[in-house]
Amino acid sequence: MDIDTPEFMEYFLDFSVAVTGFSRFDLQGTGQVSLYFSTIRGIIGDQIFGELLQTFHDLDRKAKRENNQSVLTDGISFEILVSGKLGPIARNIIKLWYTAIWYQLPSPWQEKFGARQNDITFIVSPYAYPEGLLWPAIGVNPPGAKAPGYGTWSEPPSVKLS
Amino acid sequence: MTIKSVDCQTVSKTFYDAVIVGSGVAGAIVAKQLSEQGKNVLILEAGTSRDLTLAGFQSYVETFYGAIAKHANSPYPLNLNALSPTDGLNSYFEEKGPMPLSGSYTRVTGGTTMHWQGTTLRMLPDDFKLRSKYGQGLDWPIEYTDLMPYYRKAEYEIGVSGNTKEQKELDIPFLPGYVFPMKELPPSYLDEQIREKIDGTTFDLDKETIKLKLSSFPQGRNSVPNPDYALYHGDVFVPSGVTSENPLEYGERCQGNASCVPICPVQAKYDARRTLGTIAFPDRVHLLSQAVASRVEIDPENGRVTAIHYKHYKDKNSPQYTIGTAKGRLFVLAANAIENAKLMLASELLSTSGLIGNNMMDHPFILTWALMPQVIGTMRGPLVTSGIGTFRKGKFRKQQSAFGIAIENSGWGWSGTGATDVLRDAVNRNRYGKDLRQELIDRISRQLLLAFMCELPADYSNRVTIDPQYKDRLGNYRPVIHFNISDYCKKTMADARKVSREIFKRLKAEDYTHYKNSDPAYFEYEGEGYWYRGGNHFSGTHVMGTSKHNSVVNKNLRSWDYENLYLVGSGSMPSIGTANTTLTIAALSFLASEQMLKDLNT
Ligand SMILES: Cc1cc2nc3c(=O)[nH]c(=O)nc-3n(C[C@H](O)[C@H](O)[C@H](O)COP(=O)(O)OP(=O)(O)OC[C@H]3O[C@@H](n4cnc5c(N)ncnc54)[C@H](O)[C@@H]3O)c2cc1C
Ligand code: SF4
Repeated sequence: MDIDTPEFMEYFLDFSVAVTGFSRFDLQGTGQVSLYFSTIRGIIGDQIFGELLQTFHDLDRKAKRENNQSVLTDGISFEILVSGKLGPIARNIIKLWYTAIWYQLPSPWQEKFGARQNDITFIVSPYAYPEGLLWPAIGVNPPGAKAPGYGTWSEPPSVKLS
Repeated sequence: MTIKSVDCQTVSKTFYDAVIVGSGVAGAIVAKQLSEQGKNVLILEAGTSRDLTLAGFQSYVETFYGAIAKHANSPYPLNLNALSPTDGLNSYFEEKGPMPLSGSYTRVTGGTTMHWQGTTLRMLPDDFKLRSKYGQGLDWPIEYTDLMPYYRKAEYEIGVSGNTKEQKELDIPFLPGYVFPMKELPPSYLDEQIREKIDGTTFDLDKETIKLKLSSFPQGRNSVPNPDYALYHGDVFVPSGVTSENPLEYGERCQGNASCVPICPVQAKYDARRTLGTIAFPDRVHLLSQAVASRVEIDPENGRVTAIHYKHYKDKNSPQYTIGTAKGRLFVLAANAIENAKLMLASELLSTSGLIGNNMMDHPFILTWALMPQVIGTMRGPLVTSGIGTFRKGKFRKQQSAFGIAIENSGWGWSGTGATDVLRDAVNRNRYGKDLRQELIDRISRQLLLAFMCELPADYSNRVTIDPQYKDRLGNYRPVIHFNISDYCKKTMADARKVSREIFKRLKAEDYTHYKNSDPAYFEYEGEGYWYRGGNHFSGTHVMGTSKHNSVVNKNLRSWDYENLYLVGSGSMPSIGTANTTLTIAALSFLASEQMLKDLNT
């Protein structure tokens, strides 16, 4: 499978929106979309990454066709996240978006689907770190970057419990 | 203009007025004071010095961004030729127990202030009389009032923000009309939530009723200059910024980057490079970096120090080094409490009192953590803006140690469950999308962590020693540490836990504190288990005192046994009370510099 195509990049963005809870606008605003795409691809290869994105895309299309959002949410939970093959990759992608860290895949995954040479825990790039979604998710700046300004810490927090 | 970086050849051809080992806050202040009075000095620095340029500093920030574990030394690249202990992450300290000391310091130009937090409390007058008033530890040979003028100099040099009125409530005397150079930093939203519920409530400690009251922490972090400072100083304080370019962007007011430890990217926080960078006659100060002092040479005839031997490496990634000597009239060890003691022991220096390396102190911290009922915006602002200082004094100090409480704005990271850990855990439980975002707010933005910094009086058997078995790559000794916590301190740690339970109850916060018995710093006291974290305030290893039989240095920090040798830094402190050590280190460095100048001028 060759996933180096505009469609797969689109699927990747749609998938990322669904699993991170951030909008396309937010994700694109990080400037990291293509770096993350190529990093994941470079580590696990086209086959499994493509399968993940295709699985997601099929669910997404079906949900839209049936106008039933739970097709997608159930699908993400039961066909992707609990899958021994796709789950660890999907979770890693969420962590990557939130922290800019790629975590080495768990050993059961490596044993079953083959260890990958570049699969080590690392920060994808120093300048991806401040773009992690963890910080906006909790209404703070990434520690050490994007300083919010003098005295801002006295103001009420910008995030709420629902 | 910055001080002059020199090579070994220049050093070997120069006879200095003073040779200083270490470019931390202590060494930097001495270099500044001596050079301003016309003296030529050399600083030998074990670490690298790339942080003296803005580009070099930025590379530290970038290393920090790129580090997976953002620990205290993460911005500073590993240097096997001059290792920096990092909370047990490397094997620099050889810990012999029974309890771990842990903690860290940084061996780069600027020293440990590169990653310090910046709290600048003065010690209380009682802290100087721990033995005579409370029967514990050691007394100082000087009093608070002797140190007062030097505290003011230190507060100017560091650029302290704070509120003297609040400090006076703790019985800390100030010169009438004196204020800190800058106003206190605004309290965090969290501070105010706590103040509302806690201020004015009480806690009974050893039959003494202590009133809980929040106050701001004085700190070496730029806020807004206090116009009233002009009444004392003649001029309003102008916060100095970064050593080199763009002072408009850098070195301005604290912007709430929330990463003060390990690095302040905008340099709003003081570090010793600021002192080095504001030396008025920089050509009088030579800096030889990558030079690890390894021996103090003595003339057996007259018992005076004649030189410092050092090992100079060209490349921190290679174990190759050359040996050099630095000569002068006066010698100043400012390599910090542990390194100073180690260097003296390695040089087999005479010690009439036999106290080199003994009496090592630190401030062990008890941490307690809870979730507040409401979102408090955890992880915003400087790591600490307020605390509770009312347990720093009291009659109870006869029975148990005093402590200070810091309200951490940064959440539970220090206790092991920081934001990234919560995220990983939630994702591993297959949370995603909007649910994930809500869970993060729920579990991070309500995090409250209280840090109880406890006093640990001087104890002869807590010590740093050396052993030929334990050396580093350059063949220098690594510190061998023997450390324990007395019941005097443990009792307070147990009470600190009780105070936290009471505070959490009043805040209606859910207490999540638990101390795993597998932790290396785990101990039990009266049936309950706790662990502590090292406080990085190593001191006492070459105490000052009233005679050469009870101390290593006199009240001017001059060695009793070698009259042209000074030992500056917290190693000279006989007690440290509940004040983070650096402001007092800075004050003592000013005090000692005056005596050094007298010595040099006679
Ligand atoms: C995480 C952390 C937070 C802290 N927070 C606070 C705080 O909030 N408030 C506070 O008051 N204190 C704090 N401290 C403590 C504070 O950083 C130190 O007290 C202070 O920096 C000590 O200054 P110094 O100049 O004595 O020693 P250092 O800063 O350690 O400087 C010693 C210098 O000597 C050099 N050196 C060492 N050995 C040799 C050798 N053999 N040859 C040549 N050079 C050598 C080192 O490289 C270094 O540059 C903190 C410390 C840590 C680790
Ligand atoms: S909060 Fe930030 S800007 Fe302020 S001192 Fe800390 S790191 Fe620097």
